[in-house]
Amino acid sequence: MVSANSGKNMKTHIKNLIVAIGLIFVLGAFTIPPKNINYKCMIQLTNYTGEGAYIVVSILDKNNDYIETLYVQGDDNEWYRDLEEWWKKYYGKKRPDIDAITGETVTGGQRKMTILRIPEDKIDSGYKIRFESAVEDQEYYKDDVEFDLTQDNLNSKIEGKGFIRYIRMIPQ
Amino acid sequence: MTLSIWRYSHLLLALISSLFLILASVTGFILSFEPIQKAVLPYGGHDIKKISLAQTIDALNSTYDEVLSIEVDENDFVLASVVTNKGNNETIYIDPLTGDNLGSPKPESAIFSFTRTLHRSLFLKGLGRAFVGIASLLLCFIAITGLLLIIKRQGGLLRLFSKVQKEYFEMYYHVILGRWTLIPIIIVSVTGVYLSAEKFNLLPLNRLKHQISISETKIDLDKKPADLALLKQLNLHEVRLVNFPFSEDPEDYFEISLKDKELYVHQYTGEILSEVHYPFSFLAKQWSLVLHTGRGSIIWSIALLTVSISILFFIYSGLIMWRKRVNNTKIDTAATDKDESTHIILVASETGSTFNFAKQLKEALINSGKTVYMSHMNEYTTYDKAEHLIILAATYGNGESTSNARKFKSKFETIDPLHNLKYTVVGFGSKQYPNYCAFAIEIDNLLRKKDGFEETLPVYKINNQNATDFHDWTEKWSAKTGVPIKLKNTVVKNKASKPSFFKVIAKTNPNGDNTFLLKLRPEKKLSFKSGDLAGIIPEKDRIERSYSIARIKDDILLSIKRHDLGVCSNYLNQLKINTTIPIYIHRNKKFHFPKKSPLVILIANGTGLAPFLGMLHENKKHIPVHLFLGVRNKKSVEIYKDELDNALKSNKLTQLHVAYSRENSNDYVQDLIKENLNLVLDTFTAGGHVMICGALQMQNAVLDIIENSTQTSLEKSLIEYEENGQLKLDCY
Repeated sequence: MVSANSGKNMKTHIKNLIVAIGLIFVLGAFTIPPKNINYKCMIQLTNYTGEGAYIVVSILDKNNDYIETLYVQGDDNEWYRDLEEWWKKYYGKKRPDIDAITGETVTGGQRKMTILRIPEDKIDSGYKIRFESAVEDQEYYKDDVEFDLTQDNLNSKIEGKGFIRYIRMIPQ
Repeated sequence: MTLSIWRYSHLLLALISSLFLILASVTGFILSFEPIQKAVLPYGGHDIKKISLAQTIDALNSTYDEVLSIEVDENDFVLASVVTNKGNNETIYIDPLTGDNLGSPKPESAIFSFTRTLHRSLFLKGLGRAFVGIASLLLCFIAITGLLLIIKRQGGLLRLFSKVQKEYFEMYYHVILGRWTLIPIIIVSVTGVYLSAEKFNLLPLNRLKHQISISETKIDLDKKPADLALLKQLNLHEVRLVNFPFSEDPEDYFEISLKDKELYVHQYTGEILSEVHYPFSFLAKQWSLVLHTGRGSIIWSIALLTVSISILFFIYSGLIMWRKRVNNTKIDTAATDKDESTHIILVASETGSTFNFAKQLKEALINSGKTVYMSHMNEYTTYDKAEHLIILAATYGNGESTSNARKFKSKFETIDPLHNLKYTVVGFGSKQYPNYCAFAIEIDNLLRKKDGFEETLPVYKINNQNATDFHDWTEKWSAKTGVPIKLKNTVVKNKASKPSFFKVIAKTNPNGDNTFLLKLRPEKKLSFKSGDLAGIIPEKDRIERSYSIARIKDDILLSIKRHDLGVCSNYLNQLKINTTIPIYIHRNKKFHFPKKSPLVILIANGTGLAPFLGMLHENKKHIPVHLFLGVRNKKSVEIYKDELDNALKSNKLTQLHVAYSRENSNDYVQDLIKENLNLVLDTFTAGGHVMICGALQMQNAVLDIIENSTQTSLEKSLIEYEENGQLKLDCY
């Protein structure tokens, strides 16, 4: 009887253990690494005159701290310093590898399409997306376009304040 | 007047901008390798004129998840921004027919990006760009003033590419290289200026304004881009950039940039929604980029590379020329007083080389106890104690005065000499120019016509700064005036050549005519031909004499007439067998035996026979040759007998005609020509060659005889025969 009981207990223990281990695996699979969603993004510039605009797209948290750089338009790092905030608070300090997300500049009146890979866990969780822009020997716009990272915003057209006339985004 | 303005601006501009230009050309040299390196990458291979845009779009759409844009570069490589099926956004070179990924563009190498920044902004951003732009503008002006100077120097636009007088290495190649690189330099500098000006918004820049107009047609949402007629018509070569529609919404469209315009194209109907042509400023920028960077063309990149190197050379050689001119034309007028001097030397010189002669003359006169005053011709004035006026006048360009002599004529007309003056004019020029020594002749005429001027010697012309000729003139002048002139250090070597060393291997004693033969063997293998000149400089007076060379196998045979007071002939006469002497070999291409000819006539007197002995030896093709020789008597021929007999025996000489001036007949070589005039005339008409070597007097007598007949029986004048090389002269 005892032996039968203890045998039964043993089975439940093993069962629980398997469930627990399975759960850890499943949870692990969901949490590491976070899933990215591809968004197609079009940046339409205003009809300004001058050189190609340098633009950097970043994710910021509630405290306006830079979390991640999504896209850099402009490949001559001589001019990165002109994107002041990003340089001061992020790139200048951490020097992340941005080769894979760097594109060529376009000039006034032109548009540029690119894919932004946005981590799903940052969407609708209080994060922001920021487009900074600067043109050689002209102004720098710290928040040319800036909006909350929400599903709604990510499927819309948003006007810019500086060299960017508007940006449009849709899931790819 | 104008000449010196151009020269000073040319120099001043060059000095100001030289630092920037040195930097720009060194970096430009490095950068010119980039487009070459890019053009040889393996991303091409298709004739993209035969591939339609629709084909490529179709290939890409079936290979990748999504396509964002297509770009066709200067090398006809096709670059596409795509989303791969792994969801990555990549920019890759693709095969335009299959859509295959050929590779990713490599990030620019650090050397090129560093060099480019240095090249266009010196790492000073906007300020640096302004400096470089201004230097580029200056370069453009330098090239233009340089072009004007060359035109002036060569004697007119039409003579721009005629032969250049060779004075010294730096000047010669400054001109030669200048002619060929001026146009590319102007292109590089103008495009450089344009690109800088564009950066500073100095040019009108019209942004393209699209107006979208949609006609209300039925839209078939199943239509694929590959089906659109317009995309089928466009070939990839016409296309620069295609931006794909942002979404599948019918309101989103293709943005297609062609070479000359931009189109918005409906993604389902293929209708052109907007069409805007690029303004001129945009196309000018495109062209400036292509021309300035050489991208897309290996040949032009190499041309740009050459331009970069040549600018460096111009800076170097220009500096040398400037230093030379400054040093040569500096006159120490304070040392002597114009009103205390008996001998006045006036100089017209553009490049300063005529001043070398003037300075030597001045020194020699001072050594003979004379008081000498030397100045520019422009400074002509009255001279209280002057007895002799010696004018050394170079001619510039097409018979014009040099800039330091341009005021002479007007001054000469208004200033009367205080008392009678003895004058002589020495002209410096080059026979390569049509108006040889024209300025000197003009001055000589001017002086002759004015009262109070008495000619010492007729105008004496000196070709290409020939030191021997100048020495000859001083001897004539000495003989006439009784003032001894010993020139010091007259060796003005025209070419920066080095002597070759020769060993004396045979020498005859002077015969009854005081003529002897000298056979010399080069220590190293040398390339030269009969008719080239052997320049010999005896230690005693350091003046170079030229002797016409006969090449017998690898040896040189010289025929030399000994003069009792001749420095060089006596120096050569005392040479012992096996001694080694330095000789400057000067090419004399215009006096080489023709390679091909139906008939050749050789005319010589005295030692002028020497080069012909070698030419007969070189006549391996057995071209028929008649040799007319003038000597004093039968004994004079004896030293040449062996060579002449050999030539006759081996059929390298067809017939020998000899005139003896001191035998019973008193014949001269011109008499022989008169007798055989038809043979000479036939030679010209048959395309044969006539070569004359020996005394100038003999040459003129012979030419007179031919010329008097050519006017009646020959089609062309002797000058034309001389120009086409059928008549070759080498007389002294």
